[in-house]
Formats: sequence, C-alpha cells, structure tokens
Amino acid sequence: MSWSMVMEHLFMVLLAVLFTIALGVPLGVCAYCFKPLRRVVLWSVEILQTIPAMALLGIIMVFLGAGKATVVIGLLLYALMPVVQNTCLGLTEVDPGVREVARGMGMMRFYRLLHVEMPIAIPYIFTGIRIAVVISVGVAVFATFVGGGGIGRAIYQAIRVHDVPTIISSTFTLMLMAIGLDTVMALAEKRLYSRFSPAEK
Amino acid sequence: MIRFEHVSKSYGGTLVLDDLSFEIAPGQLAVLIGPSGCGKTTTLKTINRLIETDKGDIYVNGRSIARLNKVELRCSIGYVIQQIGLFPHMTVEQNICVVPKLLKYSKERCQKITHEMLELVKMPYEEYAHKYPNQLSGGQQQRIGVLRALAASPPIVLMDEPFGALDPMTRLVLQEEVRRLQQKLNKTIVFVTHDMDEALTMADTVIFMEKGRIVQMASPDEMLRNPASDLICSFMGKRSLNNQHLPQTVADIMRDKVVTVTKDHGVRASVELMSRKNIDTLILTNADGSYAGVVSVDRIKRSGKGYKTVEPLMNRGYPFSYEDEDGQVAFDKLIDGGVNYVVVLRRDRTVAGIVTKTSMARSMAEAVWGNGE
Ligand SMILES: Nc1ncnc2c1ncn2[C@@H]1O[C@H](COP(=O)(O)OP(=O)(O)OP(=O)(O)O)[C@@H](O)[C@H]1O
Ligand SMILES: [Mg+2]
Repeated sequence: MSWSMVMEHLFMVLLAVLFTIALGVPLGVCAYCFKPLRRVVLWSVEILQTIPAMALLGIIMVFLGAGKATVVIGLLLYALMPVVQNTCLGLTEVDPGVREVARGMGMMRFYRLLHVEMPIAIPYIFTGIRIAVVISVGVAVFATFVGGGGIGRAIYQAIRVHDVPTIISSTFTLMLMAIGLDTVMALAEKRLYSRFSPAEK
Repeated sequence: MIRFEHVSKSYGGTLVLDDLSFEIAPGQLAVLIGPSGCGKTTTLKTINRLIETDKGDIYVNGRSIARLNKVELRCSIGYVIQQIGLFPHMTVEQNICVVPKLLKYSKERCQKITHEMLELVKMPYEEYAHKYPNQLSGGQQQRIGVLRALAASPPIVLMDEPFGALDPMTRLVLQEEVRRLQQKLNKTIVFVTHDMDEALTMADTVIFMEKGRIVQMASPDEMLRNPASDLICSFMGKRSLNNQHLPQTVADIMRDKVVTVTKDHGVRASVELMSRKNIDTLILTNADGSYAGVVSVDRIKRSGKGYKTVEPLMNRGYPFSYEDEDGQVAFDKLIDGGVNYVVVLRRDRTVAGIVTKTSMARSMAEAVWGNGE
C-alpha cells in the first residue's frame, strides 16, 4: 500500500460524492415538490442500494469500460439513496407552521423553497451526505476490479500473496479514513443543527 | 375595510362557510369566536387567499381580492398564527424583515424598521436583533411573530389564535400589547380565538360563528347583555351572568312586576286590590296609560270617605325616574327621599316598574354572585 493509493481512493470518493450531491439534492427536491414523482424516485434509489456493489460496477463497466469513470458512476449510484432520501425528508419535515406563515406572508413557491425550506433542510441534507461519504469509502474498495485502483488494489494484491500485515494495515487505513471523515462531518453537522434547530415550543 | 358578500366554501360536499356576509370597519379589532370546527380559520384564510372561496366576494379596501395579485395582497396583510412559525434559520432581525425584503426595501430601511419594531415592544435592538428564535422564550417569539406581521405597515393583520400556546400570564401581557399597538398604529385586526375572555377584553366587535354561519355580530357589551343563543351564553359562562346583570341603568335594578290601575279606579276596589296583593301603594295611570301618580292605603283610610274614585287622593309629586337613567339616580331618590320605592317610567311616560330597597339589593347580589342558575 502506498500513499498514492490512499490519495487515489480519497480522490474517487470525493469526486463521487460531489456528483452524488449534484444529482441527489435536485432529485430529492423534485421528489418533494412533485408528489406523484416522490414514490418513484425514492423507490428507485432504494432499489439501486440493493444491487450488490460488485455487480453494479460490473454492469457499468460493460457500457463504459474499465476506468475511473466507471468507479465514480458506480459510487454515485450507490450513495444516492441517503442524499435523496434525506433531502426529501428534510424538506417534508419543515414545520407546517413555518411553511404556512411563509405562504401567508407572500412568498411564492420557488422563493419559499430557496429562502425557507432548503435552508431549514440543510442539516438533514448534510447528514445524508455524511452517510454517502462513509458508504463510498467502503464501496470504493471494489474499484480495483474495474480498473480504478485505490486501497482496494493493495488489499487485493496482499490477499493473493498472503501478505497479512498489508491486509491489516490497509484495512486499518480504510477504517481510519471512514471514521475520520465521519467524525469531522458529524462535528460540522452538530454545529449546523444547533444553529438551525427549530424554534423551541 | 374588509367586506364579505355571500361567501361560501365547502370541502367535499360539506359546507364549511355558509353564505357569510359581514363587514369590518377600518381600525377595528374584530374577534372571530365559536366552537371548534365552525370555520374561523377558514374564514380568516380566505382573506389572504390561503384558501379560495367557492362562491361570493371578499373586498379589501373596496377592491375584490379575487382580482388582486396574491403576492401584493399578502404583503399588505400581516399574518400571525398559533404555531408562531418564526424562521429558525433567520435572526430576529431577518425574521422581522421578511416582508420588507420581499418588497425590496433597502438594507438601511430594513434595519430602521427592525429598530422601530423592537422599540414598540421594548426589546433592545442590541440585545435581541441578532438572536435566533430558539434563543427566545415562547412569549418573546410570538412578540417577534407579531412584529414580523407589522413590519411592512400593512393596514390589516390576521391573527389565528396567536396566544393559544402561551401561558396565561404571558397571554395577558401580549393581549394588552396587541391592543395597544392596534390602537397606536390604527390597524384593522381580525383575531381568531376560542377563549371568550380574550374575545371580550380585546374586541371592538365580536363575531360568533357556528357551523359556518354567523350567529351574532355585536360589541362585547351587547353580546354580554343580549347573547343571541344558548351556545353563546355557555361560551360566556359565569361571566355573562355577572356582566349581563351588572346594574348600570335604573332598568337593571327595578322590579318590573307592579300593580297599576287607572286613576278613575274605585276607592273601595283599590283598597281591596291592595289588600289582596299585600301592598300599601298603587300606581295610577291616565286613560292613555301614561303615569299619573300614586295613592297609598293610609291616605285612603284617612280621607277617602266620600270619594268614588282614587283620583282626588292621588299624590302627584311622588319621586320617579326614567328607566334609562343611571341606576344611581333612583338609588339617591330612594335613600334621600325617605320613600319606600321610586316609580320607574319609560320615556313615553308609561310605567316600567319600581325600584325598592329589596329589588336594588337583589340586583346587586346577582351581579356579585350570579343569579344562581
Ligand atoms: N382542507 C380541508 N379539507 C377538508 N375539510 C376541512 C379542511 N380544512 C378544514 N376543514 C373542515 O372545515 C371545518 C372548519 O374548519 P376550520 O379550521 O375553519 O375550523 P375552526 O373554526 O378554525 O376550528 P378550530 O377552533 O378547531 O381551529 C372543519 O369541520 C374542518 O374539519
Ligand atoms: Mg382554527
């Protein structure tokens, strides 16, 4: 395992998460705004989650060939569920009183979404992103099978040559990466929640 | 200022507003009250078009709201609800300035408004403007809710049970404050509550609704005095019994069952009537029913011999007062005049009743303890 493998792994995860956000948040907003769409969207992202990661990457490779693009798209699809779900949930959870006042004071739908509902939903959305990151760190291990590299390659090679210390150190690195990212984001999340927490009744 | 003309609304076949017509004058605080589900909230929300009506028209300032732009309409009508609904991600200042911002006021103007608004409720700008709603008490939050509704100086403010979730003390303070602000800023307020005390203390006009209709629309005084239905009575509870009989005019303290006869009544018949009714004085009227005077049994016994009718024995100078005069007038005459009673007349000089020491004491007792119903 080398430093460059760790960076490669991180790079794939971050890139995938960026795309997940770019696709997941708008999808979540759509699911919230258009009630008939909501079930279809939520159900679809849930189905994606049930596909084994390896199989998903394999299927994408058939179309796109081996490489980083396949990995990033695979991770993106796999991590979509928490982001979409939390975005939609965060928006539906907005206090009905708040929503009604916003309407009664003359905010139209889009203005309301932008200035009231989205800001209030941000902590939820952030939680979704945090979960997406943790999922991606784990799933990115399979990248090596579709030509993506990363820590997965180190583990795979080590398994083949029975290099137990490397297996252990790689796994440890992965865990550290997941826990580290999770902790940092959880801290940020806590600050968001305390700042935006709904008015006490 | 706000006029409903035959407004109806139904949800899936059930009529929620049933041909409502009423008008609220500018600068009035009108309270909508009634049992749960009678359509108060629905009525309120039709005014800023959060709910569209099925039939009828609503006019604000003489203009039909159906033809107004929704955003403009809502920006010109303040809105306060029980859940408060402060925006949790905005500071007090940002909350207050929501509508000014919608109306694209300048930053300086918004800040000036925040200063003025906080000043109105004596919350120092430096201390509160930059706090978030969850850093305030419930009462403070609803104060900000009210200020937010007033910020862009709308002529009309709608309030749906704004103090329903507050503790009784805070509630009283805020009632007082809203009343003061309403008078100072000369707002027209439509206020929903189901607390009759709140309605009676705050309202210029009380609108009592039941099943989507208006049962009575009257001033608090009038509603206390003449509740239009049993339901209204029960809403007012003990309070109505008390205040309804609060002795104010002579009519409130008089006894209205009195024995009157015309002045040409026979002497002997009069004595017989008095002994039968166990009274010692008769009230005499002219042929047209107007008051003529009184005659006492003593007078007849002393000098009644030789007269056929009681007219010559009649005392024309007996103390009387009019029924709509202040109760104290009759009281003074009764006590100072050293008489057993004071005759009460209507303005057309027909006899309405008499005030005796007993009737006066009884009405006072009713006012203090209720009439025992
Ligand atoms: N969206 C809706 N769909 C169907 N029925 C409704 C709807 N909104 C209100 N109603 C019905 O309309 C009636 C009047 O409701 P409204 O909220 O105006 O009552 P209210 O007088 O404000 O009662 P409360 O004192 O409980 O707030 C009720 O019977 C209610 O069930
Ligand atoms: Mg209501």
